[in-house]
Amino acid sequence: MSTALETTKLSKRYGRTWALQDCTLSLPAGRVAALIGPNGAGKTTLLHLAVGLLEPTAGEVQAFGLSPLRQPGEALPRLGFVAQDTPLYKGFTVAELLTLGRKLNPGFDDALARARMQKLGIPLNRRAGKLSGGQQAQVALVLALAKRPDLLLLDEPLSSLDPLARREFLRTLMDAVAESGLTVLLSSHIIGDLERVCDYLVILSASQVQLAGDMQEIQRTHKRLIGPRQDEAALASVHTVIEASHTDRQTTLLVRTNGPLFAPSWEVQEVSMEDMVLAYLSQQAGDRVQAPPSAREQDGREVFQ
Amino acid sequence: MTWVVWRQHRAEGLMLLVVLAVLGVFLLITGLEMANSFQQFRQNHCLGLNSKGSLCDELGMAWNNHYGFLRGAPLLGALPLLLGALVGAPLVTREVEQRTHLLIWTQSITRMRWLTVKLALVLGAGLLASGALLALLSWWNSPSVQIFGDPFGARVYDTSGPVWVATALLALALGMFAGALTRRTVAAIFLTIVLFLAIRAPVEVLWRPNFQTPLTVTYAIDQQNPSALSNQDWIVSQGFIDAQGNRSTNLRGSCTRDETSTRCLQANGVQANYISYQPGDRFWTFQWIETGIYVGFSVLALGASVWLVRRLN
Repeated sequence: MSTALETTKLSKRYGRTWALQDCTLSLPAGRVAALIGPNGAGKTTLLHLAVGLLEPTAGEVQAFGLSPLRQPGEALPRLGFVAQDTPLYKGFTVAELLTLGRKLNPGFDDALARARMQKLGIPLNRRAGKLSGGQQAQVALVLALAKRPDLLLLDEPLSSLDPLARREFLRTLMDAVAESGLTVLLSSHIIGDLERVCDYLVILSASQVQLAGDMQEIQRTHKRLIGPRQDEAALASVHTVIEASHTDRQTTLLVRTNGPLFAPSWEVQEVSMEDMVLAYLSQQAGDRVQAPPSAREQDGREVFQ
Repeated sequence: MTWVVWRQHRAEGLMLLVVLAVLGVFLLITGLEMANSFQQFRQNHCLGLNSKGSLCDELGMAWNNHYGFLRGAPLLGALPLLLGALVGAPLVTREVEQRTHLLIWTQSITRMRWLTVKLALVLGAGLLASGALLALLSWWNSPSVQIFGDPFGARVYDTSGPVWVATALLALALGMFAGALTRRTVAAIFLTIVLFLAIRAPVEVLWRPNFQTPLTVTYAIDQQNPSALSNQDWIVSQGFIDAQGNRSTNLRGSCTRDETSTRCLQANGVQANYISYQPGDRFWTFQWIETGIYVGFSVLALGASVWLVRRLN
């Protein structure tokens, strides 16, 4: 399978702060990937680097083998991008925005854009500034889709939308994916809405990739283990313990299995995607505050719940 | 891209046209009147320094009464600055403030192409507008220059040669640079004004009188005016020469009221008067030198803008 987006030790520093550090990621083509991370994790930085809006401090980013910064002429037509809060020229009418898309993109699919606007009930003669937030997001998405990109990058497209608008936005997106098979990477600070539409997961936290892989595979390899209070060291020698919490009598672990799981003394449970993501994020949060190990293990779960 | 720039800036373009139209009508009406009066000056041989006589004095007085208020016309000098602050400065900042740069820079055209087209069209429009206005202003200025001279006077000099167009270019370029640097409209407008004045004022006050070495005439202390000068010349400085040949603009001592001026000058050791001047035929040389200076600064500012936009994120 070919690779849509590949980053190698990609790093970006603002002043003394690293927004992204040694980020290595390979996103297979044809996937709909969720980029999950808390605010300030570097999601926007990663997406901006991927589309050539930013220059990396170190490392490399390539989309379909092209550097968006050094080969913008070849790379840009293959990339679609919807920035956070979906900025549009507010004084342009929807029709004028489509004209903009047509004038600036050789492969712009005007018929597709018009058809989608009609389907969404967005009047072409309305100024963008007069549209609702949900409609503006839809227009921005349709503009990006009509460019016929091979890789579509969306920066927190759902964060400012109400639940209904979210569902409609995702429907438009999934229709396009079903039709054209494009690769999508969309960021969010919560997994909730994305769980149903995404088949690939990237967890970004503390400016690094914590986990990246096929959603089903991740679901399959992550288990919650509950047993009498005990030390997790034996288990941790084979599998990766993401999170451990202890009460007086009971120990609960969230592990990533690295092979068959033989755990007779544990009760093995499935773990929801949301809990799993939270475990990764809180693990990182714990490391960052440098709490003593015991305190961290006890408090870890509460931090994000 | 051309269409996008046109669509984005058509409101400003329209505003510019309205300003040009209003100004044009004003200049046309007053200009035609002045051209009429000028005919009277010519018919009565009242052009040039040596045209004395009651009729000429009358005509001059009437002119002053009618058109005196146009001499200053300080608003004209502010026009290029307005162009820079209101059109040049927001060019980049408005995109950044409304975050639309994230939209426009992720279409299929490169950022540099976006910038090149935008600069070319906006600068082109600015140059075209100032050029058109220049043609009108030159015609408008010519009667008063022919009657009263003083082509190097601030208003005439600034508004009847390539300096006018170069000033508009400079203001626009500085506005774009300030916008790319500050990325905030209000700050950019402020910086545009500061930079513009910081370049304009020293050039005008310190540099312009010395673009070429001034010529000097000396004349006897009992003489009123040197006959060599015409009203087209620009007097840069004047003063006194002592016995050793030193020049000074001030008398060392002072004159008492009942002395004649000649006696007083003699008493202060003055041997002769002098006038340093730039002859009127240097007008176009000066225009092109100053144009070169402003174009140079503009190129610097535009180069810096391109560099800043390339790095902007």
